[in-house]
Amino acid sequence: MFSSSKKTEGYENPDKAREAGATVIARGVRVEGDFTSQGDVVIEGEVNGRIETGGLLSVGPEAKLKAEVVAGDAIVAGVIEGTLAIKNRLELKASARVQGDTSCQTVVVEAGALLNGKISMGAVKAELPHHKSKATQTEEDLAA
Amino acid sequence: MAQSGYAYIYDDFLSDKKYERDLAVLESRLATLDLAGRVGKLALFRSAKDLVESLVSQGVTTIVVVGNDRTLDKVLWFLPYLKVTLGYLPVTEPCGIATALGIPKGEEACDILAARLIEKLDMGLLDERYFLTEVTLENSAASVDIEGRFKLSPMHGGRICIRNLGGIGEADKADAGDGLLEAVITPQTESAGFFKRNSFPETRIKFEHGGLTAHDPMEARVDCHTANSLKFKLGIEKGKLSVITGRRRKPAQAGLPKRSEFANLPGTVRNGKNIGAGGGIGIRTSLRG
Repeated sequence: MFSSSKKTEGYENPDKAREAGATVIARGVRVEGDFTSQGDVVIEGEVNGRIETGGLLSVGPEAKLKAEVVAGDAIVAGVIEGTLAIKNRLELKASARVQGDTSCQTVVVEAGALLNGKISMGAVKAELPHHKSKATQTEEDLAA
Repeated sequence: MAQSGYAYIYDDFLSDKKYERDLAVLESRLATLDLAGRVGKLALFRSAKDLVESLVSQGVTTIVVVGNDRTLDKVLWFLPYLKVTLGYLPVTEPCGIATALGIPKGEEACDILAARLIEKLDMGLLDERYFLTEVTLENSAASVDIEGRFKLSPMHGGRICIRNLGGIGEADKADAGDGLLEAVITPQTESAGFFKRNSFPETRIKFEHGGLTAHDPMEARVDCHTANSLKFKLGIEKGKLSVITGRRRKPAQAGLPKRSEFANLPGTVRNGKNIGAGGGIGIRTSLRG
């Protein structure tokens, strides 16, 4: 089925991405700020800030992200500097370079991928630490 | 009489002898169709706004522009303020807007006018001025502000286009009835050779309001005129212009969901959230997540 193969292969051409209603940030385009989406997102350019999607995030081999990343699923072939909170499946392609703490349910790492940072797996919420509820933060702060 | 509320605005270039025959054919066809009306002629030092407002105050309810897209451009910016329906009889090039509206050039346009198929189109706002088709910046390094949440910019320059109805020749790629503008950024890339082609050539985001900013003055092509500034404010007003369109007009992106359905699609920015069809292609998808 298309949707399941998309989960593992990402979007390899713009037509498929657009047919599926994915938002594409093309190579040569920079996004700065808080980019939030409920659908799939394909990044081929640069992102500075924060990116959040409930769908699949595909980071192309030439993409550079200096961002906090929250996504349902992610396929990364480019460079990410920042925290990754992936709700389900994270796939790192051979060309991936990730610098930052990562949380996900499942991880697939191709030979050659680089991951520097702490990785937490299992039942995690796709939320970054500073997006936790105030109540949770207070409890944690007290525990600390 | 139903047709008594018609007024025809002739562009001044039509006073040239070479258009005499074209105008005679049009006028004859209009008379046959019982679409005769008053005639107002634009001239070098005559304000199109004053002329149209004067006709409207005399009871005119349909303003028919006779000329080309440049003639239309002279009235588009103030027509949404008036309670009138716009008709268009393109006589000569450029007439890309006519094509976008499904109106053929010449005599056949009179039949479109007679059929009186009226559509309410959204009007874009560049600062406080209305536009119908698009705002284009060529070779620009400007940033597009999307609802104050994030900015998009071509890193090495490129073409930035903010579409409402869409551009001349590409009009079918935008929908002037969805209450949204569409930012299309086509960046210049350093290498576009055989081995390193840009597989995703452009970025498209739909949004309701935002802006354009640049460090250097920008020259924007807006409909058929240009505007210069360091900063532009962008917005849209839904269904602001009543226009007589042709049946041949393809509702932009046939098959695309209506505005209300757009709210549930991935990719469009509404209230700061990117939820619409970013690709701008008429395929409906289910919402996930």
